[in-house]
Amino acid sequence: MSVAGRSNPTPRIGARREAMAGYALIAIPMLLFLVLNIGSFLYAAYISTWKWNIRRGPQEFLGLENFQRALGDPVFQQAIWNTVYYTVLWVPLTMILGLSLAVVVNQRIRGQTFFRAAFYFPAIASSAAITTVWIFLMAPDGLFNEVRGALGLNPLFEAFGFGPSFNWVGNYRTAMNTVILLNVWTTAGTFMLFYLASLQSISREVYEAAAIDGAGPRQAFRWITLPMLRPAHFFVATVGVIGGLQLFDQAIFAGSPNGDPANSLMTVVLYLYNALVIQIDPGYAAAVGVILFVVIMTATLVQRRIFGSAPAW
Amino acid sequence: MSQGAATTIEPIGTPRVAPPARHPSRGWRRRLAYIVLVGYALLMMVPFAWTVVTSFKTLPDSTRPTLIPDPFTLQGWQYAIQVLDPSIVRLLLNSLVIAGAVTISNVLLGSLAGYAFARLRFRGREVLFIVVLATLMIPDQLRLVPVYILFSGIGLTRDLGQYVAVFLLLAISATSIFLLRQYFLTLPKDLEEAARIDGAGHLTTFWRVMMPLASPAIAAVAVLQFQGAWNGFFWPVVFLTEREHATLPLGLYLFRFAGGFATNWPPLMATVVIATIPIVVLYVFFQRYFVEGIAASGVKG
Repeated sequence: MSVAGRSNPTPRIGARREAMAGYALIAIPMLLFLVLNIGSFLYAAYISTWKWNIRRGPQEFLGLENFQRALGDPVFQQAIWNTVYYTVLWVPLTMILGLSLAVVVNQRIRGQTFFRAAFYFPAIASSAAITTVWIFLMAPDGLFNEVRGALGLNPLFEAFGFGPSFNWVGNYRTAMNTVILLNVWTTAGTFMLFYLASLQSISREVYEAAAIDGAGPRQAFRWITLPMLRPAHFFVATVGVIGGLQLFDQAIFAGSPNGDPANSLMTVVLYLYNALVIQIDPGYAAAVGVILFVVIMTATLVQRRIFGSAPAW
Repeated sequence: MSQGAATTIEPIGTPRVAPPARHPSRGWRRRLAYIVLVGYALLMMVPFAWTVVTSFKTLPDSTRPTLIPDPFTLQGWQYAIQVLDPSIVRLLLNSLVIAGAVTISNVLLGSLAGYAFARLRFRGREVLFIVVLATLMIPDQLRLVPVYILFSGIGLTRDLGQYVAVFLLLAISATSIFLLRQYFLTLPKDLEEAARIDGAGHLTTFWRVMMPLASPAIAAVAVLQFQGAWNGFFWPVVFLTEREHATLPLGLYLFRFAGGFATNWPPLMATVVIATIPIVVLYVFFQRYFVEGIAASGVKG
């Protein structure tokens, strides 16, 4: 008390001024967060229990009726199925490719910086640009069909029922799988960076000790690298699942706002967008948003169970 | 960045783990590995090269798998600038204005708030910082409906209000505040104290001493936010419903569904080129900030 008192003769005024400055500096961000994030989070739950008119506000209290309606709608069920299908395939595939790229780039190779930059390259462009290019490449007369024809691979594709000018993005049988392929390709570079950060934190001594004990490269990978990457797996899988369940851009681009072709690209977020922007039914859309939020939270908690605790960083 | 302070992940460039060097058969394996690596790297580039090439082709030529346009033409670009509605010039301006405003706003608000959370003592500081981080856990789709209702109530879903709506949603991100706070925490306190002894107030200290020191973190925030706003699709597709307000990603979306245009590839590819080049340039010059931004956005998990 005495020391602090002596070194600063007016501690109360200084402290108050400092506090006022602190509040002033965070005022605008806090206001935006409270209204557009925290506030809207609670507001969404409220709206979801009402029949809501965009101009006149709440019309009729519905309780859980909006939720029942959504869960009973076959199109919504299809949307959930599509979204889960996408996430369950896309996340592991991207993790495998991302980890492989990270392990390769982490080796002592010439041109390491170049390869790292090249592998990350597809991740920097907008989903809109990438998906447009993808639709162009996979079009009936696009580069993909041309190249496989030129390579003489058409009989192979024919065996699976894909003709020489098959419409990959426009056919309901293949539309979602092409979107998965597209996003594995664009996101693998991002996952690579996450894995790379973890790989580089494993100390060299661990590998040297293992080598002395007679472990080959394969054993070292199986028994050192993979277990040490556990926190990274958790992190990448969590980020992946959260992102995967929110699939929207590529679906609306490759198909349409209606989830074309034949609902095969209808996702939960696309369904929500439809309910709000096209059908203008805010109460119903809010209920879909709450369902999505619950699904994301549940998935995150389940993953925490599987992979153990979150990484230290 | 030498301090590596802006991120919580080890920056790229730390000592690498050497693979246990053993087999004499490594020679051909190495060569094979390089072939695979170069092949994969090329595979990453092909679609972009193909896009640029196609934008200089004629429509009939655009579906042929040839690498050199025959004939070489600027028709696609001309079409994209003069015929498309909105013109790609308009799209470019809209994207620049929105991404620019969002970047400036994030740098300003983020460094002020980051500084306050790192350095100034005030009651409730820790709780408020947790509130900031908690915003990262709320998915945009859950906010969509309430924000839409709120904005349509105050006139932000029409006319110029549409720009304001998108701007307000992106004006400050918790990631920006977090990144800058972490960076300010690593700076030695002596510098501020020296400035304070010289009679500088909190704001002067901030502008003259702290901001210049934080430039690496500011650059990371700027690059991250510019890229996010430039590439963003979700909020623009919801709010920028008047054609002349569209950004480049939204323009691509409109052109794709404009009747009969879906197959007019050269101008569409020209739009893709314009939408991608600024980010590629940023990536070439500020690669390390991209990496740091990615590492930092990891907080979002």
